[in-house]
Amino acid sequence: MMIRIALLFLFASLAACRSLLSPERPPQPAPEPASSATPAGAAPPAVSTPPTPTRQYRLGSAATALVAQAHSRAAAGDYPAATATLERALRIEPENPLAWIELGRVQLASGNSAQADHMGHKALGLASGDPNAQAAAWRLIADSLRVRGRNEEASSATAHADLLVPH
Amino acid sequence: MAPRARKVRFRRFAWRSALGLAVIAIGAFCLYAYYLDRTVTQQFQGRRWTLPAQVYAAPLELYVGAPLPMSELVAELARLQYRAAPKLDRPGTYHRQDDRIDVALRATRFADEVRAAQVLTIVAGAHSIEALRDAAGQDIPILRLDPLLIGSIFPTHGEDRIVVTPAEVPVLLPEALKAVEDRKFDSHHGVDPEAVVRAMWVDLRSHQIAQGGSTLTQQLVKSYFLNSRQTMGRKVREALMAFALEAHFTKSDLMNAYINEIYLGQDGDRAVHGFGLASQFYFGKPLAEVDLSELSLLVALVRGPSFYDPRHHPERALARRNLVLKLMADLKVITPQDAANAASRPLGVTSRAAGAYYPSYLDFVRRTLRRDYPESDLTQEGLKIYTSLEPRAQDDAEQTLDRELARLEKSRAATSASLDGAVVITSPVSGDVIAIVGGRRIGYSGFNRALDAARPMGSVVKPFVYLTALETHRYNPASIVQDAPVDIRMSNGTHWRPLNFTRRTYGPVPLVCALAESLNQATVAVGMDIGVTHVAQTLQRFGLERAPAQVPALLLGAVNATPLEVAQLYTGLANGGYRMPLRAVRTVLSASGQPLKAFPLELTPIAQPDVVFEVDQMMQQVIERGTGRAARTILPRDVVVVGKSGTTQDLRDSWFAGFSGSHLAVVWVGYDDNRPTGFTGSAAALAIWSRVLASLGTTSWSAAMPDPLTEVAIDYWSGLQIEGTCANADTVRIAVPVSTQLAKKPGCIAAAAPSLSERLAERVRAIIHQ
Repeated sequence: MMIRIALLFLFASLAACRSLLSPERPPQPAPEPASSATPAGAAPPAVSTPPTPTRQYRLGSAATALVAQAHSRAAAGDYPAATATLERALRIEPENPLAWIELGRVQLASGNSAQADHMGHKALGLASGDPNAQAAAWRLIADSLRVRGRNEEASSATAHADLLVPH
Repeated sequence: MAPRARKVRFRRFAWRSALGLAVIAIGAFCLYAYYLDRTVTQQFQGRRWTLPAQVYAAPLELYVGAPLPMSELVAELARLQYRAAPKLDRPGTYHRQDDRIDVALRATRFADEVRAAQVLTIVAGAHSIEALRDAAGQDIPILRLDPLLIGSIFPTHGEDRIVVTPAEVPVLLPEALKAVEDRKFDSHHGVDPEAVVRAMWVDLRSHQIAQGGSTLTQQLVKSYFLNSRQTMGRKVREALMAFALEAHFTKSDLMNAYINEIYLGQDGDRAVHGFGLASQFYFGKPLAEVDLSELSLLVALVRGPSFYDPRHHPERALARRNLVLKLMADLKVITPQDAANAASRPLGVTSRAAGAYYPSYLDFVRRTLRRDYPESDLTQEGLKIYTSLEPRAQDDAEQTLDRELARLEKSRAATSASLDGAVVITSPVSGDVIAIVGGRRIGYSGFNRALDAARPMGSVVKPFVYLTALETHRYNPASIVQDAPVDIRMSNGTHWRPLNFTRRTYGPVPLVCALAESLNQATVAVGMDIGVTHVAQTLQRFGLERAPAQVPALLLGAVNATPLEVAQLYTGLANGGYRMPLRAVRTVLSASGQPLKAFPLELTPIAQPDVVFEVDQMMQQVIERGTGRAARTILPRDVVVVGKSGTTQDLRDSWFAGFSGSHLAVVWVGYDDNRPTGFTGSAAALAIWSRVLASLGTTSWSAAMPDPLTEVAIDYWSGLQIEGTCANADTVRIAVPVSTQLAKKPGCIAAAAPSLSERLAERVRAIIHQ
């Protein structure tokens, strides 16, 4: 019995050591099924589990205020003013994929689906490590494709998004 | 018939004729008066001044964390002609106390909204804004300063003006004008007979028409309807028209028209009309903000804008201004004390005329808009044009270019100051053009080299050769290429044998080294392998408008481009493979503030982000160890930038193009007559480029590595992969496609993983130390 307890203790210690000593590496983001400038939809999703996030994009308070203002302008149908407001946000946070996604959303609402698509891909390229931002970019791409009747590619883009963040 | 009777009849006839003639004359005069009345009324009723388009710089964004130290904040307020004041008594003033600054913001029209005047409190540290609050002490997330008026697009030899409404006119201005120019304005009917008689008396004595004696109404008529010739007939016409105007319009209407119409100065081809523009032209601020002494100077100018020009004849201007103050005090418009105080003040005119600051940039704005608007719309319709110009970046770039060119000339003991150059600065993420310097003569609107000097690109073309090679997937940044003598037989039978700049041959080198060291022979080898046609197509894809000649020399930059075009080409590299049209104009508003046209951000994917990332990272080595390494001594150590030098045959053109995270800059240096400069791209253009970037307070290039790539360490000169520690290796880290197999450098000691016991001991030590 004592031997068993000793063995169990040894086992537990080793396990603890292992978890203590293994070098800490950030989880690798899942490889993108398609690189960010290729048209969506060609490749089916290649990963089967949602990746662990390594970062989470947020907009700062200045950009958040501008996005809110842009939303109300877009809701009033004033897309040029909404676009101009989001460009201000983008100048403050050019590397933030969320700013690009917001701009793409307004482009889509104003009927410029091709630009929305490009902005979705631009955001995707910036969003590595943040599944939420990646999923939002894929959903923008999906919507921009659907508007143009490219339903199959749209479904594939949605599948990418669902895989990252189940809907 | 008796002679008497005949005489009587003749007399009667003469009387009748005279009467008839008089009736005809009176009738004609009445008709003429009626005609003048109609003309004057109609023209004046529907009066519209031709309003040149006004051009504004990008407003400065204020938010917590904005990289704007107090010193720059104060400099920007000075640029906008805000004045330091002990208390905020009116818009256009600010009060600073240590790290806190209270600003009474003016009411301003932006491209997308109108902001009312308001009070703002900013707390700024040595590096950035720390707090932003409104008058009630509430935090404000974001707010823009006023957009700086940088000029107007006026017709050649034409009138420029800023129209003001009565509400924008200081109450003292009409009073001052009446006191000095026309004391009976409120009571006369357009003409002041007493003043006319007085003037005629003076004219008779001096045998010429010298004295004005004109009422404000007559002056308005003269300026608005008539030419400036002084004849008797014209004087009568002027009086009749003034009479007609007075009959149909109110005094306040006429006063406002006068304030907007009258000529008050000259700036080269541009005639400054109206007090609204004059206030900007002489003091750089809105008319509503001028103080008593400034207002008096403007009134003083009415009598002779060039004779009393305060920039050229300050003594005359000062004397006349003080006379105006005295007249106002005499008529009790102001107190003698106020007059004395104002008279003791300096003239206070700005050193440079507002609106003439940035001719190179305005040139680009004008060209952009000409595509959409006829010239007459730009010069007459009062459009408001909102641009991306950043005045601070523009000022710094202008000064850096001139200073560095002077230094370069001195280093070569060149006698004349004819070495010239151009700088273009953009924000690569938005495509905004933030500064354009078309030559070293600041404020001079001559040859705009940034837009018009199309010169051979030289080696700044090379990144596009390597990008095309990487796109074939037969090359990666570590691929070995042969830098060996090149001999290409041309179609005309001649041979092309380009040499390296150093005239040495380097043998097998990795692609990254060939680009960073700008090796001509290796580049030609790669380019000939992938095909000149494909390189030409890449250039066009990235935005080169002219189709380049598809000759082998294209690989070494035998294609002409202007600095602005090079900036357009590099935008795709700075932007992860997306092309964006470079834009100076963001929005055009009508005179009434209606949006007419916007130039929104547009993206076009033109290259795979991973390939662009590989090229960018190779260009990082240009700065770290290649031909651009001199930049490292000027730029802050921790700021990562990428770029490429360019030098053309016989050192005629010196180029440097590159970017950081937030800015893209292109610099060209050369002579207008295409003489050799004696400078390479690394010697001349790089020195300017790195100083321009350093002055911008730019951020690091830090694009995220796309997923299909992995980073490896290789030896810079051999391209062999380095694992662990190697002797005699010059290690660079580059991105290559994930599956890339590289030859490993022999003789390296692998960095052994620590043993379990070592790690356990370390961990125990760490726990003890905690």
